[in-house]
Amino acid sequence: MRKLLAGYERHLYALKKMRTATIPFLLSFIFLLQTAAAQAQDIKITGKVTGGSTPAPIPGATITVKGTARGTVTSNDGTYTISAPSNATLVVTFIGFSSKEVPVNNQTTIDITLSESVTQVEQVVVVGYGVQRKVDITGAISQVKGSEISKQPAPNAVSGLQGKVAGVQITNSGKPGAAPNIKIRGAGTIYGSPNPLYVVDGVWYDDISFLNPADIENMSILKDASSEAIYGIRAANGVVLITTKKGKAGKPAVNYNGFVGFQRVTNRVKMANGHEYAIMVNELSAQNGQPDLLKPDDFGEGTDWYKQELRNAMITNHQLSISGGTEKSTYSFSVGYLKQEGIVKTNDFSRFTARLQNDFQVFEPLKIGYTVTASVYNSNDVPDAIFGQLYNSAPIVPVRNPDGSYGDPSKYKLGNGPANNPQVTLDFYDQTTKRHVVTGSVYADLRFAKHFTFHASAGGEYGDSIIRNYTPAYKATTIQQNNISTLMRTGTDRTNWIVENTLTYENKFGDHDLRILAGQSAQQYKLYKLIASAQNVPNNSEGDRYLRLGNTDGREVKDEGDLYTVASYFGRLNYAYKNKYLLTASIRADGSSKFFGDQRWGYFPSVGAGWVVSEEPFLKNAGIFDNLKLRASWGKIGNASIPANVSVLRVAQDPYLTAIFGGNVNTGASINAVVAPVTYWERAVGTDVGLEASVLQNRLYIEAGFYNRETQRAIFDVPFPGSVGTRFSTIITNQANIQNRGWEFTVNWKDEPGNKDFSYSVGANLGINNNKVLSVASGNNPIYGGGAAATGGALGTRTVVGQPIGQFFGYQVEGIFQTDAEAAASAQPFAKAGDFKFRDLSGSHGTPDGKIDANDRVPLGNPNPKYTYGINTYFSYKQFDLAVDFQGVADVDVYNANLGLRFGNENFTKEFYDKRWHGQGTSNTYPSAFIGGRQNYLPNSFFVESGSYFRIRNIQLGYSFPADMTKRWKMKNLRLYLNAQNAFNFFKYRGFSPEIGGTPNNVGIDNSVYPLYATYNFGVNVTF
Amino acid sequence: MKNSRIYYKQRIAVYLTAILFIITAGCGKSFLDVPPQGQQPSEQFWQSQADATKGVNAMYANLREWKQVGFASVGVESLGSDDTEKGSTPADASFLTTFDNFSVSPAEGQLLDFWQGQYQEINFCNQVIDNLPNISMDAALKTRYIAEAKFIRAYANFRLVRAFGDVPLRLHLPKTPEEYNLSRTPAAEVWTAIEQDLTEAATALPVSYAAADKGRATKGAALSLHAKVAMYRKKWADALNFTDQVMKLGYTLFPNYEQLFRIPNENAGESIFEIQAQLIPGNKDASNSQYSQIQGVKEAVGGGWGFNVPTADLAGTYETGDPRRDATIIFRGETTPEGDAIALAGVNPRFNQKSYVPFDKFISGYNEGADQNIRVIRYAEVLLINAEAANELGNTQQALSSVNAVRLRARNGLTGILPDITVTEKVALRNAIWQERRVELAMESDRYFDVIRQGRAPQVFGKLGFVTGKNEVWPIPQNEIDISAGKLTQNPGY
Repeated sequence: MRKLLAGYERHLYALKKMRTATIPFLLSFIFLLQTAAAQAQDIKITGKVTGGSTPAPIPGATITVKGTARGTVTSNDGTYTISAPSNATLVVTFIGFSSKEVPVNNQTTIDITLSESVTQVEQVVVVGYGVQRKVDITGAISQVKGSEISKQPAPNAVSGLQGKVAGVQITNSGKPGAAPNIKIRGAGTIYGSPNPLYVVDGVWYDDISFLNPADIENMSILKDASSEAIYGIRAANGVVLITTKKGKAGKPAVNYNGFVGFQRVTNRVKMANGHEYAIMVNELSAQNGQPDLLKPDDFGEGTDWYKQELRNAMITNHQLSISGGTEKSTYSFSVGYLKQEGIVKTNDFSRFTARLQNDFQVFEPLKIGYTVTASVYNSNDVPDAIFGQLYNSAPIVPVRNPDGSYGDPSKYKLGNGPANNPQVTLDFYDQTTKRHVVTGSVYADLRFAKHFTFHASAGGEYGDSIIRNYTPAYKATTIQQNNISTLMRTGTDRTNWIVENTLTYENKFGDHDLRILAGQSAQQYKLYKLIASAQNVPNNSEGDRYLRLGNTDGREVKDEGDLYTVASYFGRLNYAYKNKYLLTASIRADGSSKFFGDQRWGYFPSVGAGWVVSEEPFLKNAGIFDNLKLRASWGKIGNASIPANVSVLRVAQDPYLTAIFGGNVNTGASINAVVAPVTYWERAVGTDVGLEASVLQNRLYIEAGFYNRETQRAIFDVPFPGSVGTRFSTIITNQANIQNRGWEFTVNWKDEPGNKDFSYSVGANLGINNNKVLSVASGNNPIYGGGAAATGGALGTRTVVGQPIGQFFGYQVEGIFQTDAEAAASAQPFAKAGDFKFRDLSGSHGTPDGKIDANDRVPLGNPNPKYTYGINTYFSYKQFDLAVDFQGVADVDVYNANLGLRFGNENFTKEFYDKRWHGQGTSNTYPSAFIGGRQNYLPNSFFVESGSYFRIRNIQLGYSFPADMTKRWKMKNLRLYLNAQNAFNFFKYRGFSPEIGGTPNNVGIDNSVYPLYATYNFGVNVTF
Repeated sequence: MKNSRIYYKQRIAVYLTAILFIITAGCGKSFLDVPPQGQQPSEQFWQSQADATKGVNAMYANLREWKQVGFASVGVESLGSDDTEKGSTPADASFLTTFDNFSVSPAEGQLLDFWQGQYQEINFCNQVIDNLPNISMDAALKTRYIAEAKFIRAYANFRLVRAFGDVPLRLHLPKTPEEYNLSRTPAAEVWTAIEQDLTEAATALPVSYAAADKGRATKGAALSLHAKVAMYRKKWADALNFTDQVMKLGYTLFPNYEQLFRIPNENAGESIFEIQAQLIPGNKDASNSQYSQIQGVKEAVGGGWGFNVPTADLAGTYETGDPRRDATIIFRGETTPEGDAIALAGVNPRFNQKSYVPFDKFISGYNEGADQNIRVIRYAEVLLINAEAANELGNTQQALSSVNAVRLRARNGLTGILPDITVTEKVALRNAIWQERRVELAMESDRYFDVIRQGRAPQVFGKLGFVTGKNEVWPIPQNEIDISAGKLTQNPGY
């Protein structure tokens, strides 16, 4: 264990300022002894050795003169001085980095940049409740360094993972402060939180928005069931283990990272202008048998609402950290400040974070420590409805009239579709959110009886948030006015804690390497929310925002809460024989207060085996493989991220059930839902087979894997007949078995060709996933979804055996009716010219029956991406470094609900205007302006589009100042960089962004998502 | 030194092990037994008289909910007729037009809303009917509550059967999987169940309530709805009998027809059953009726959305000088008796005046007109049912007496208008009574079904697109057919 830990730390902290004592000193001593043999015509060479993806000075690197025993080591700031022949070659080596040869060529200053090269044998990976050598791992675990993540200008660490790891799909929301959606190996669960479990320094979280990405040392993504099984209860969506930075013994290291930049909307959809819109309104009116509403010639370009309300938004980030310590205690302290403006005017988000971490070696066998993080968030919010309004609003309405009053859509008699002036919406929306989160953990490690380590830890999270919403009394337009002000405060308190104890036995005897872990854990999650409002609150200043200043009558108070507990026991065995044959087995038992009786406890076993083929004599000396491992594993995992007490039927006592008799209010209550009598743990059973190989002196690393994961008894929210009569006509229970099966490939190449100051690395990863429903409780009858407003209330998705979850479902469009007569004579007698012509595919008996009805609906597309991929490149030449990351998904469909979701005279896209049907022969693919009416709005193939995209996710160009300059400035390192994120995006999708989230049986339905934006920034890294 | 260190080590180990055990002990059974938070488990409900009262309250409250009185009701119960059309701007909620011109698709959302709305109401009733017998409470109150529930269940089933024909009949809470997914019961059996509920309700319900209970179902309400059901079923003797009984219960016609529909005159002597709604400041969720909002004057603050507007056909059907024309229809450019000047310019020339609430009642943030009660059965309708039944049974004098009582009130003391009907020939009198129904009950969700039950739909609605053999009932909602795995069948022609 200690050895492994040491190896782990060596790997992780190599970049840190550290006194690398013994070995280099011994080496240099030996070298010094031999310098007696040095030749004449030597010159004195000085320089600095740096390394890493964000290059930092490397102290303790060994520099030798090639072919001699002469050498030295770099000092604490990475500098060195050596005498060598002017035609000699220097060889620079440091553990964890590729060695490098540099010809002297009469230079007296040579700065050398090393690139990280961790051989598979050395590399250590964070696993559940411990660390393991990568070579000993029998499951599929991907590791991403903190520096890879903090390099990107994303406020949330998770978005930095996009394109970095095979099989991990990240869907970013553009909303400042909002957490991205993450899916590991496809959609495995339907209900509850689809997010993975995040374990930060041993504490469990659903969301890691509180974490400053720059504080992250390392992220491990557990992808296969056997690795995840040790986290049984919450593992079904994958597990992300995060280790934060720790201090190292030595002088204080002070580091500043900062960037400033801006975000701007890219790939904006062009909407019809005023003139075009007026034409469309008249065409729509004609479709409804009405005269023209507008004179198109009265209108020109009109208002471009997106242009009006969106902006280039600033983003600023500062992070300062100080770390250091002594042999007995270390510390790491950091503060961070992020300010991100939203791309919608008036929207902004800021976050302060402070983090303190201390470790104390109390005495030889006992180490204790703690980490505490505090964060404060503030945001000025905009209503979610604004994106729908920007899309829908009429370009003929001015933002303001010449007299300064707001443009009033009602004056144009356009109906309820574009009823709002978005400028009014923003001007009178006054909501702020403040959040405070304090989280942390304490631990103690005790080693005893030679082979045992006892680890106890306790952690928790306290968070509160206050949303303050104020609607003033105002009169802006016919619709947008309010005659009495309202103040509403929503307060949420969250208190979570976790206590864990593990005991590890570790022993090496002969060819046997054995480790046994046993542990216990208890957790509690508690939430309380209080919502209060009052009317007629004055509006003189922020100081008036008190409920007590409002009217005493008409006050409202509501509250709600949640509480659940978990108790767990777990154990794991790791065994290696001759470092060749590997065995891992684990079991976890979880009890959750969400389940009852016999169903309360779930048991989650796993087993894995590995064979390090390269250790076999027949390969060991062949010199082909530096490492070759085959692995296979199996595991069972659970998912309890469902609402508490889903199988407890509750009494509804809501205000809408209040009866009025004789003018008096009478509290009403009833039972308004149906619950399943028993809900079981949702679980997943996964098998994983993989191959890992390193060849060509570890320059090429290849990993290939196959997985098959079956989610059993998946918990679904399934509609039942409305005739049962409950207000909520869905039942939450175990409904389906779902399979995610696929392949993952990772290839990394690293090299420093020749003897130049050039090095590069290229990595590529690919995940191929196939999602299939194996069985559903309703037999062959599908589970329908998507029946929300976005699809006009019609059920637009279904989940049926043999098909992917939530596939799009509807009519197949075969053309557009060109004349009323053609429509009247068709299978759709109520259709009119310009309407979709649906394909007559089936009648009630399975053959076309000359009638378009529900039997003609067919699968239209799959919202689950088949391919997710990324390409990550890094180049370094002298003082310059360049990183370019590409990322994409392919073979996925999106339902463009924006096109058909119309209540009236909403605006159209320019593309739709150009291609629409507007008279016989004008189009056989795009319908008339009446796309939201008659049967045109029903889910059909016109709305289903490819959601594939490819983007240059990140481009970063950096310049590190030469050591002699930084030395003069009393810095150890100074690097400047330019970064562009999401600058180039390629997709065919007709909406703003093909990255659409959603719950699994409603996923991929685009209804006014946040527009896609690119971020450009300039940053500085300084180390003192 | 070394000894003390070992001692120290051991002590630490003991402490940590102790912590382990303490925590492990904490993970016993009780740690995982967490009661539902802020939620009352259903087992604790339906135990006491207080529960019974709350359950009955919920049943009444739900009557004003969106699916009961919103777009669904407008589409299914009104727009098919020649009295009303969609309204608002042409493109606004154009899906409602498909009810106007009989092109509605089974996937149309308002069909599903209407269906769900009625079954939700039935569920509230069935909870009362199934659970109250097991509650120990005041016996008289228990009997009354169950009777109230039967009345409201009958009302919901009546709305279902006249809209869809054969429908699943739910007389108890479902228990088995089969009971969750019921197939359609023939309409005749549904009608029979409605009649039985109404018979039982009429027996047990009181004639009237104290002021604090105004708005609950009465004996008169049960008898009146039963008479209406009998009229739909052409059981003329029953219709006559039940209306005769109601006419002895002391109801009176309110003198001023226009004022009858204003808030101060809610639950007046003419009112037999009204859905109670109220704007309660500070309680938006309870002020949830959108009945007046959706039909309110468009483009006016405090008005509404301007849907379900009276047609020119309706405006033209009144006899010259009939005050009911102006009382039923708000015409553009008029000033209402309450003083609201309606702008002359606007998309819609007419609005429903029976749902009209003066604009000064509006409080922003709340639904316009949330205060307005919805008149379900008025005494005037009882008189018209009585007249129709009497005429069918050959009792001409009674028919004339009843129908003329309605005309008398409509005149409200004015002379030279609306003379008494004197025709005695059966067919002619029937037509006169039907016409009287149209004008007296216009905009009250009856015209569409009246014309169908009268067998005149092809003639009256043909020009609107009515197809005989198909449009007598609306299609079963497609979502329901999908979810039922084909157990529900579609109506012919859809």
